[in-house]
Amino acid sequence: MSQTVLAGTQFSVQIHFLSPLINGIANGAAYGLLGLGLVLLYKSNRIFNFAQGEFATVAAIVTYVFSSGTGWLPDLPFFVAAVFGLLAAVGIALLTERLVIRPMFNRAKVILVVGTVGVALLLIGIEGLLPYPKSQGLPTIGQVFGTQDFIGRIDGIPILYQDIAKLLMLAVLAFAAYLFFQHTGTGTAILAVSQDTTAARVVGISVERISLITWGIAGLLAGVAGILLAVPPTGTVTPGAFTGTTLIVAFSAAVLGGMTSLPGAFVGGLSLGLIQAFANADSTFVPGLREIQNSQELAVFLVLLLVLLVRPRGLLGREA
Amino acid sequence: MVADTQALPLAGKRERTLGRLGVRLLAALPLILLVLLLPAKDDNFSHVAAYAAIFVMVGLSMNVLTGYTGQISLGHQAFLGLGALTGANVVSSGVHSADPFTFALGLLIAAAASGGAALILGAVALRIRGLYLALVTLVFGSVFSDTIFTLPSLNGHDAGVPAYRPDALATEYRYYLFALAMVLVCVYVDVWVRRSKVGRGLIAVRDNELVAQAFGVNVLGYKLIAFTISGAMAGLAGGVFAFWEQAFSDKDFLSVAGFNFALTFVVMVVVGGLANRGEVIAAAVFFALVSPLSPLLPWVADHTHWGTFYGNNKFYISNVIGAVLLLQTIVMNPGGLGQVIGPFDSWFGGKKFTLHDPDGDAGVGAMEDSSVRA
Repeated sequence: MSQTVLAGTQFSVQIHFLSPLINGIANGAAYGLLGLGLVLLYKSNRIFNFAQGEFATVAAIVTYVFSSGTGWLPDLPFFVAAVFGLLAAVGIALLTERLVIRPMFNRAKVILVVGTVGVALLLIGIEGLLPYPKSQGLPTIGQVFGTQDFIGRIDGIPILYQDIAKLLMLAVLAFAAYLFFQHTGTGTAILAVSQDTTAARVVGISVERISLITWGIAGLLAGVAGILLAVPPTGTVTPGAFTGTTLIVAFSAAVLGGMTSLPGAFVGGLSLGLIQAFANADSTFVPGLREIQNSQELAVFLVLLLVLLVRPRGLLGREA
Repeated sequence: MVADTQALPLAGKRERTLGRLGVRLLAALPLILLVLLLPAKDDNFSHVAAYAAIFVMVGLSMNVLTGYTGQISLGHQAFLGLGALTGANVVSSGVHSADPFTFALGLLIAAAASGGAALILGAVALRIRGLYLALVTLVFGSVFSDTIFTLPSLNGHDAGVPAYRPDALATEYRYYLFALAMVLVCVYVDVWVRRSKVGRGLIAVRDNELVAQAFGVNVLGYKLIAFTISGAMAGLAGGVFAFWEQAFSDKDFLSVAGFNFALTFVVMVVVGGLANRGEVIAAAVFFALVSPLSPLLPWVADHTHWGTFYGNNKFYISNVIGAVLLLQTIVMNPGGLGQVIGPFDSWFGGKKFTLHDPDGDAGVGAMEDSSVRA
């Protein structure tokens, strides 16, 4: 490293600035994608869904086993397999609503949250017991379309199609979900239920149906995230793939953006991705952090605490 | 089962309470003999039993925090790990590494370190309202483990820190008896917390924070006390864990392993039934026995034709067992084991056998009214 610094300060600063910038945006898009579903469920049900990462993993696993023809399964085209993956994620989310959330409708929210933790634990266990090759990746965009994997290079750093896809999908979904809440009857009904369940019932909204719809959408968002994220080099299809590391950061990102704001998931995700990338020990910007492994996680925790203590509604959220 | 709303026993009732205690002791005698004698069979049995004892200590620590105070912690593996790290480092840096004094000092410092860490976390996190506390503890547990436990100077440069036992505790059975004594210490603390002014304050805070505040209870102060006591108990358990494994290894507490620990602790205290001491202990023993580290399930697997299947999937099997029991408990059986055992318990106490649950505020109900309600 000292060699590069000697070779030219200008050059080394660019490398150290560009590489975390690109990584940060790519990872941030991932956090935002998972965060979207978290925000949706918080906005509508006032709960944290710790099973969101596992909904995503289920979609990735189902897509993988169908697209690679595992066992006796047919070897389907990627997009057909992806549809199966999305259906699986929605199905699991609906089952969760019906079997865990619905029976506990009137209980304290914290117990519902413990319930979603249980669902996550159960899904990790089941994913682990199913027979399929673990730690594989979904096909990259290059493999699906038969092109190369990156659109070009900036100073030698490849810009991957999949990172652009993540970012675009995040922007589209965040905007679509925002429109859904602002401009459709169902979206308004979901907000009404979240504000006052009894009053919503009085005006003729089926609270049960709304709850199912909300969880179905959350499952769909998780499914899209799972399929986009389980692509090499950064992602694999493995039990608990998105719960161990991604989910915690996605939560922090959603809190940073404002738990009640869907565009906030976009802003929070990208901001936290960048913060993490620049707090990484490989980056030269904060010298003290070099001693600590996983300093990017420490940064996440500090950001979370800071937001919750100073500005609990986040960057774009409304007062909760 | 002790109803939280029940008045404290009056002096005149003391004799009847003693009689009831006698009946219970008689009923528990086979259990006590089992606990003391079965692990003596061989080293493997003692090793598992000591592991169960460590889980019981953590269970009681969670009981103080979640059961009595209504605060949830999804990051308790950090306190366990900090205790283990501290205990191992104190003993292995001592000149006479295995002498009883350093050993006792190691455990004390382990408890103090985790208690201190819990106090600091609490001082910051308890200002955060509602469900966000659950999130903060989750992130804290994972981040603390991944940053502190991976420091090369503290984890023996990734090779692990040896934790020497004193000679008197060298055999597995003796160490198990020592762990049992530490469990008794934790039971004593739990009982003391429940019966003391502190305990009444905590339960008042749990049941209704605003009313407690109106009666002049220092809400934040009491929550901090609960956090500290709970952290110290988990730290003590961590110290016992390090000497049980005879080493501290950061791998036990990192990423997936740590996450599994944290969730298992929540699962066992909820399945046991929050605020029900005996049932939490029973659930902790159960989850220790089905955990991936326990030799019980491999033994079962070896004697059936499931051996290789179990060997490949032991983490996932423990996950499924824990998750199914957790979901079953909170959805259908919120009182936990306490709700199942309750009728028999009251029958032993000389009351009628009835399936009606007399105190709905134990078990998950303990969280129901708590300030974590959002």
